Amino acid sequence: MNAVQRFIRSRVLLLTAAILIVAMCLSVFIQSQSQAALNRTVDQNSRGLYDILVQAKSANTKDGGALLQPDIANGQGGISFPQLEKIRGLSGTSVAAPISLVSRVTQNLETPRLDAMDYLGYNAGLAGGATAGDPTGTDSKNWPAPESVLPAQPKKYRLTATAVSSDGVSQQTLFQTSAEGTLGKGQVIEQQTAGGKSIRIAGPAGETGIKFPAPAGGSEHNLFNLSVALPMAPPVTESVVAVDPTAERALLGSAGDFLAPLEKAPPADARNAGVIGRYFEQLFAKSPTQQELEQGPDFLGVKLKYWAPLMTQYQQAKLSGQITDASQAIPLIVRQGTSLDLKYSVKIQEIDDSGKVVNDVGTVSRSLDKDYLPFVSKSPFALEWPGSTDHSQLLGNMGNFSQGLYQPAQWSTDFAAAPKYTDGATSANGAVGKSATPGDWVTVNKLPEKSAFGAIVDQSQRKPVDERSYRDNLSTGSKPATPLPMVYGTFDPAQIQKAAGDVNKLPLGGYDPAPMTLQKDASGNDTAAKGLKPSLSATGLVSQSAGAITDYYGLAAARGYDSNANVIDAVRVRASAPGNWKQAQPEVDKLAAQIRGMGLEATVVAGSAREDANIFVPGYSKDDAGKESALGTVQQSWVRQDAADAVSGSLTGTNITLLFLTLCGATLLTGASTVSYIRQRRSEAGILRAMGWTQRKIRSWVLEEFGIGAAIVAVAGIALSLLSWNLATVIVSASVLLIYCGAAYIAAQQLRHRDVVDQEPQHDERLIAVDSPLTFAYRQLVTHRFSSVALAVAVGVFGAAVGALIALLIDIPRAAGASALSGLASATIALPSVILAVSGVLVGLVLTLVTGRFELQARREQLGTLRAMGWNPDMLGQVRFFENALVGAVALILGVLGALGLGLLLAPYAALWAALAGVLAVICWIPIATKVVK
Amino acid sequence: MTDNLQPDLTATTESTDESFQTRANTIVRAADHATPLKLSNITIRYGGDKGGAEPVTVVEDFNLTLHAGEMHCVAGRSGSGKTSILTVGAGLTLPTSGRVLWEGDSLEKMGDDEIADRRRALIGYVDQGGALIDGMSALENVLLPAVPDGEVEQRTEMAKDLLDLVGLGRRMRHRPAQLSGGERQRVAIARALILGTRVLVVDEPTASLDRTSANRIISILKDTTNDGIAVLVASHDHELVRLSDTLTELN
Repeated sequence: MNAVQRFIRSRVLLLTAAILIVAMCLSVFIQSQSQAALNRTVDQNSRGLYDILVQAKSANTKDGGALLQPDIANGQGGISFPQLEKIRGLSGTSVAAPISLVSRVTQNLETPRLDAMDYLGYNAGLAGGATAGDPTGTDSKNWPAPESVLPAQPKKYRLTATAVSSDGVSQQTLFQTSAEGTLGKGQVIEQQTAGGKSIRIAGPAGETGIKFPAPAGGSEHNLFNLSVALPMAPPVTESVVAVDPTAERALLGSAGDFLAPLEKAPPADARNAGVIGRYFEQLFAKSPTQQELEQGPDFLGVKLKYWAPLMTQYQQAKLSGQITDASQAIPLIVRQGTSLDLKYSVKIQEIDDSGKVVNDVGTVSRSLDKDYLPFVSKSPFALEWPGSTDHSQLLGNMGNFSQGLYQPAQWSTDFAAAPKYTDGATSANGAVGKSATPGDWVTVNKLPEKSAFGAIVDQSQRKPVDERSYRDNLSTGSKPATPLPMVYGTFDPAQIQKAAGDVNKLPLGGYDPAPMTLQKDASGNDTAAKGLKPSLSATGLVSQSAGAITDYYGLAAARGYDSNANVIDAVRVRASAPGNWKQAQPEVDKLAAQIRGMGLEATVVAGSAREDANIFVPGYSKDDAGKESALGTVQQSWVRQDAADAVSGSLTGTNITLLFLTLCGATLLTGASTVSYIRQRRSEAGILRAMGWTQRKIRSWVLEEFGIGAAIVAVAGIALSLLSWNLATVIVSASVLLIYCGAAYIAAQQLRHRDVVDQEPQHDERLIAVDSPLTFAYRQLVTHRFSSVALAVAVGVFGAAVGALIALLIDIPRAAGASALSGLASATIALPSVILAVSGVLVGLVLTLVTGRFELQARREQLGTLRAMGWNPDMLGQVRFFENALVGAVALILGVLGALGLGLLLAPYAALWAALAGVLAVICWIPIATKVVK
Repeated sequence: MTDNLQPDLTATTESTDESFQTRANTIVRAADHATPLKLSNITIRYGGDKGGAEPVTVVEDFNLTLHAGEMHCVAGRSGSGKTSILTVGAGLTLPTSGRVLWEGDSLEKMGDDEIADRRRALIGYVDQGGALIDGMSALENVLLPAVPDGEVEQRTEMAKDLLDLVGLGRRMRHRPAQLSGGERQRVAIARALILGTRVLVVDEPTASLDRTSANRIISILKDTTNDGIAVLVASHDHELVRLSDTLTELN
């Protein structure tokens, strides 16, 4: 029988070689599948709408690879228009789209009104009076019967008004107030006047009406309605960003069509607010048609659908003297709707003279819900009595605009990223010598102290900028006149996102709301992940999407600058180089270098992707006493630069770890199979020796068999290395070959002849005396140390591999759902990782089987001997159990530590689950092994 | 065929009949029953499994009545069923048919636990080669049968005496690997006697031993019968056959 035949006959060697080759194949598989696929996918998809983010030089500038906060429109400015033009003039620039935060616009919501319809069948012809002797007049006897929910005799009521805002997580009571007074059914009063009779509507005798504390109005009978003006709504603030509509449309493509009306806005010298206001006044002096009212009058080719607010604000500003000759109009494209829920409720109770409630009439409520439109009240609401019928439509279309609307917007200078500081105070957010003063806006300053891998997180990434007031003219310091907002159209951020495609193609900041998910409450306890809606209220978070978009003339009008101020926050530049990121990279890098040469910060965003970061939100909401409370830790999507490199690097580490573990498993298995081989061949070697074979001949006999396996392993390694052309595969193949050769050397050494010397008594009296199945089992394990330890290691490897598999199975769906980048990564690494982990489990199982067989026959014979001595089946069962339990106890330590370590490497948060899985795997092994030995 | 012959003890060097007799009387209690083991119409058949192997009848309608103090030898060629009869007699395997009676009680009516308990009290089984447990000294091996009853400590002195009796008083700390084949057999016999066994079942005790060692084993077995212990031995050793009280030769 030649060496090849002997190799084939020796299943142990064949199995070992096969497993080692599988280990090498796995290395190729992992390298080629995970990393290459990831690189390819990221490369193909990571060139977004623009390539370079240009910002002003900052002390916090970081090298590549850092996290960029998505809210780049922060009001810092720093880039001038000449610089913008210079960027546009660079040969590699295709599009340079500037963006700036204009301001925060604070506005009051509608003043809600409580209506009680006194009469049904309102007829506009009845408005006015029935004059005696006038044949066209309607006799009061013919008027419709009153249908009022109010009593004829006034009764005393208490109204409690509440306004609550909610952003999806917490509610905040914005105000709560109550007022008391008497109300009754309105009456038609016929009065004798000079020249005849006149009719008027009045409350019943003795009605005091209800008046809320200032600034809310009181109640009045107006025509056929009882109206109670509720307290003023709280101010609500929105952000406004400025863009260049032409560049923006070039950047966004069809998704930017909503900006088209902005391009038609009048030039800067034709935006005098007074002139525009007067133009609209004269339009309506000519009795516009209903169609014109509904669609909006034409203004320079744009139908201004929301003309009413403009008119109202113009008139109110004119009356209050806020409009001056210098006042500019600001064209706005406003965002449709919002998820902010602002709910009014009025509780109506009938009370007696002592103030005791005698009848709970009910509670009426109204929510802004999704119909709310910033800057414009599309559908002002009226509160109605419970049980009454809404007849407001009888009042005609004018009713839509007759209900208060809002005061002219107050243009604020509070910037999201710029908390107010008190000089000299201690900072709570890292700013030296200053502390943030709670204001209407909450600044998110804090990142997790350590990343998942323990690295210190750069907190300065969120270091707030110094406060700068743009309300004052940058040159003169004077305050400009109040601007007049004009609504040109609306936009829906969801539609933009849908049109722009993948989330990482959307422009940073601007009109892309950065979603937040609450992960932990303020106490640091885990909470069910809950999406937070962008808030418009005083409880707002920093990363709000823009409520409105204007152009740079609008920016000038709002901020009051008139010449060459560095007001551009950021410029998004798309390079003209075509192709995917890898193809365009040289040109993009060159362009970025040119921009840096201008003294600006140029961050290459191409090749980046979204990545989630956990952020602690300290001051989130205030209670009635004004005390702030933290929201907790939220998860927000940021942008990871050089995503492909970052993830590839991470994957490389993971892969190397997994490959190392594979090699460890292969080494263990080779060791186990070599021992098995030695046991098989020891008797054969003895026979050959008896036949006269020399030591040298026997060694050659062994090495020849191993040589066949080594040759196969080497050929496989060379082939795989050439196919993959990967250094890692070469290293793994060489390592595997080395392991195999090592095994051959050990086998040859072990099969050498040794003279057995019958030594003097060696029994160790310190050993535990055998007096029970447990002590018998212990002594057997001690006697067969090698087999016991080998089996424990094998079971430990099995437990660790099961733990790793569980960690991966937990990690993959979690990672896939975490962010676009992690989804990308997990999708590409999922299959090879799972295959590797399953292979680990199989290796552990095979190891367990191979090592378990070492002493199986001997153990069975021992059990037979014990049985012959009269040990009963229970005791024999105990011996088997204790033997495996003791091995399991050692394996448990190895398995738990291994599973925990692998879990920490692969998915730190799942490490405990991995350890638990390792424990369960080992514990499950014990009864199975006990059964097998029987 | 039954022969009554005197053993040839010229090869023994470490003990005499008198000393063995005297000391054994104090260690091993005498048999209470005259017929501790009876095999009635025993048939042992192997094979006929799912693998398609033809069933082989090894022993058919075998009868044996073993009296106290009697040594019965089962002789025959390899594969003739000697070991099978011994394992059936020791209650380690059940016959295909027939009855095994221990002191008149049939094993058929006993459960596994009861068989184990009765075997411990009645039968001492010595496997071919001794079947000692590795890693345990000769003394510990002898004491193993005492573990189930928790009498290890109480029987330690007795075990030492038994080892002394079989000529291994100076090797009780040695482990099986450090003992010769004959010594291992003697340890196994001592182990079989530790609980006051009334039947000694011994499988091929001299199979791989030299004549001197074999004679020593034979001598010990013969001496055992003098204490009323019944010995059932399987062997084709002529000397052993010659010294047995009764003989069954299997074809």
